[in-house]
Amino acid sequence: MATEKTDVVIVGMGAAGGILAAELGKAGMKVIGLERGPRLATADFSALDELRYFQRQDLRPNAKRQPVTWRPNAKARANPLPILNYGNQAGGGTVHYGAISWRFHEDDFRSRSQTIERYGASAIPKDCSLIDWPLTYADLEPFYDRAEYELGVSGRAGNLQGRKIEGGNPFEAPRRREYPLPPLMADQSGVIFAAGARKLGYHPFSSPRAILSQTYQGRPGCTYCGFCQAFGCHIGAKSSILVTKLPEADATGNFKLLTGTMCYRVKSDNSGRVTGVSYWGSDGSDNTIEAELVILAPFIYDNTRLLLLSKTAKFPNGLANSSGQVGKHLMAHIGARVFAAFDDRFVNIYMGPNAQKHSLDDCNADNFDHSGLGFIRGAQISITPADLEGGPIGAAMSMNPPPGVPRWGAAYRDFLSKYFARYAAIIAQTDNLPYADQTIDLDPNVRDQWGLPAPRLTYDWRRPNELARVEFLLGKLEELGRAMGATHVWRSPLGAGAPGAHHEGGTRMGSDPKTSVVNRYGQSWDIPNLFIIGSSTYPSMSGFNPTLTIQALAYMSADAIANRYKNKPGPLA
Amino acid sequence: MSTHDATRRAFLVRAAAGAGAVAGAGLVPGALTQAHEQRPETGAPATIQPHSNVVEHGAFFNDENAATIAAFTERLMPGAPDKPGARDAGVLNYIDLALAGAYADLQDFYRRGLAQLDAYCRKTYHEPFVRLNAARQDEVITALEQGKATGFTWPTAQVFFDTVRTHTMEGMFADPIYGGNKDFAGWRLVGFPGAQAMFTPADLQNRQAFTRAPMIGLQAQGKGPARKA
Repeated sequence: MATEKTDVVIVGMGAAGGILAAELGKAGMKVIGLERGPRLATADFSALDELRYFQRQDLRPNAKRQPVTWRPNAKARANPLPILNYGNQAGGGTVHYGAISWRFHEDDFRSRSQTIERYGASAIPKDCSLIDWPLTYADLEPFYDRAEYELGVSGRAGNLQGRKIEGGNPFEAPRRREYPLPPLMADQSGVIFAAGARKLGYHPFSSPRAILSQTYQGRPGCTYCGFCQAFGCHIGAKSSILVTKLPEADATGNFKLLTGTMCYRVKSDNSGRVTGVSYWGSDGSDNTIEAELVILAPFIYDNTRLLLLSKTAKFPNGLANSSGQVGKHLMAHIGARVFAAFDDRFVNIYMGPNAQKHSLDDCNADNFDHSGLGFIRGAQISITPADLEGGPIGAAMSMNPPPGVPRWGAAYRDFLSKYFARYAAIIAQTDNLPYADQTIDLDPNVRDQWGLPAPRLTYDWRRPNELARVEFLLGKLEELGRAMGATHVWRSPLGAGAPGAHHEGGTRMGSDPKTSVVNRYGQSWDIPNLFIIGSSTYPSMSGFNPTLTIQALAYMSADAIANRYKNKPGPLA
Repeated sequence: MSTHDATRRAFLVRAAAGAGAVAGAGLVPGALTQAHEQRPETGAPATIQPHSNVVEHGAFFNDENAATIAAFTERLMPGAPDKPGARDAGVLNYIDLALAGAYADLQDFYRRGLAQLDAYCRKTYHEPFVRLNAARQDEVITALEQGKATGFTWPTAQVFFDTVRTHTMEGMFADPIYGGNKDFAGWRLVGFPGAQAMFTPADLQNRQAFTRAPMIGLQAQGKGPARKA
């Protein structure tokens, strides 16, 4: 059993943790980072291997050893989710993610107010717990800018200081300057998506991605190999935290990374402060780090789990939980999907970066009039492969054949043989609303490899607002498929209630300590030397992927800690 | 399992090769390709595959279970001239190796699933799965897929079907390094070029099938057969 002392301990070295480690290290603070998985390198990703990385999820948590359980409602029994789609190594999910890097819309930060102003309070479902964020887009813009430039994001501006730019996203919030790198090349799926979208009056564009379109900061541009989402990049062109911020953190001389470690408790004393963390080492040893500042930055489940597991006589409901909000308002994206197949051309969707290759934003957020539609908020629409990546295993697993074609046998073989290189999926990623009864807590029946209770999700996306929106969007997707000239267009079946991608919530931020867990800086209202940074703090989720906003929030918190908290520890808001 | 079967298969292979009459013979190396005599249309009896020399396995399955898996997976992805199927791809070998390694925790799942399948077939048709003709085999698989096959407890019929389907697709399309996708059979079936480290702007702009490079596997880099146009 070892005990160490440090200024800052950070749990989780992913999208947020890596940025905080580098920035606080640069500010002269001694930082120890705890990471559950290993630290890999670009050389470890040379195998372009769909079975290992996509199908067997080599870079993701093992769903049997590190179970997360799910039940649709509080009366049902929870069962382990078969696939966990987040990171399990230094760099976290940014190692294997699709690198989609959106800035949220201005109204994503105030969707409650926006909805009430435009449609009246009755437009918000009665049981929905939607609140505005305690910060605005303008507050976060400088940190979006830093993230894009320091990490390396490719894209084209659609709104440069209020001036609309052709070829970019006209619905994006105003940005101070262009992206640091030009957009990635469109493959055939992007070309036909853009043509079809324009026919319908939409505004298609190459999705912004943290993938280098050309050499940047000593890293090479993308080779469009297609082994991208679910894989580590074999040349380091994906701007993961592993190849961007962790080397910066190393260079400060103030950073120590402990891999293979499992933090199981945040320690606190009777003065109401946290004093450090307890963790198990890779050798099974039980260790303590004493720290002035504790920052939690794992995937969302472990924030709630750690806070609940760390309860004491002084904090009987868990740390940072005087509001009773810890574990509530779980959100996730649902992917409504149609397939489009072409008899007269090849699409070769396995080429190029896989995630959301080309996009349109016309049906997202409050970018269109929802009057009379029976739902609020929208979805980001894009062209993608059937699953995370474009190889044949992914297609065989996730592309349901069109009606009348079975899933096996000669007819299925012929379907796959003919259309594997001639199909694309069109997906709508929905801005699902928060509800207080969508929760994370501790599973009383299932334990993980360390003997800790598994995080248990109680969640069912099939609410009236969400169902009406999905039906509306599926119609839009079918129109798009036909406008693209597809010979065959058919729907993918919707999931049975389970959360989809990009889980968010559990430690929401807010303006009121009575109804939120942390302030805009991720600082606990109850315990000023405890910070929680990541998408667990999102009060609402947006139809956009969460990562760039996680990273911007990490920069903002690091800035506040280094420039304000370090000199005068105490509440920042 | 008999010498007779092996002899018959060898005869079929020689006959096909000698006549040069089977399309795809040049595309699909290996002795198994040419003999696609197991057709639902004809109702001809399916051939039982002896494991030695003919069907690759040996790491996990016993001979009887290997024959069942070979027959079952071939019905899921049947081979035809110019369309490699599960036997051509070595799906049995893939699953056999996986169960001895990465999927060792599924050994009992397969044993129990196969025992239940055998009991169901004997009860319903008075024959084991491999003795049924192709049309009957398809009936059995459909009953599993729809959860209508009786007598299954664990694994359930549907879960067993889904798992075998998943592993069949893995054996068809995973890199050959894992023991399936023999000679890139699965990749040739669908037109996937494998582990290409890059695609050029011209590749991305091409609306035709990608045929520029040889297929590339993790070990046999560039040694694959010439791609069909």
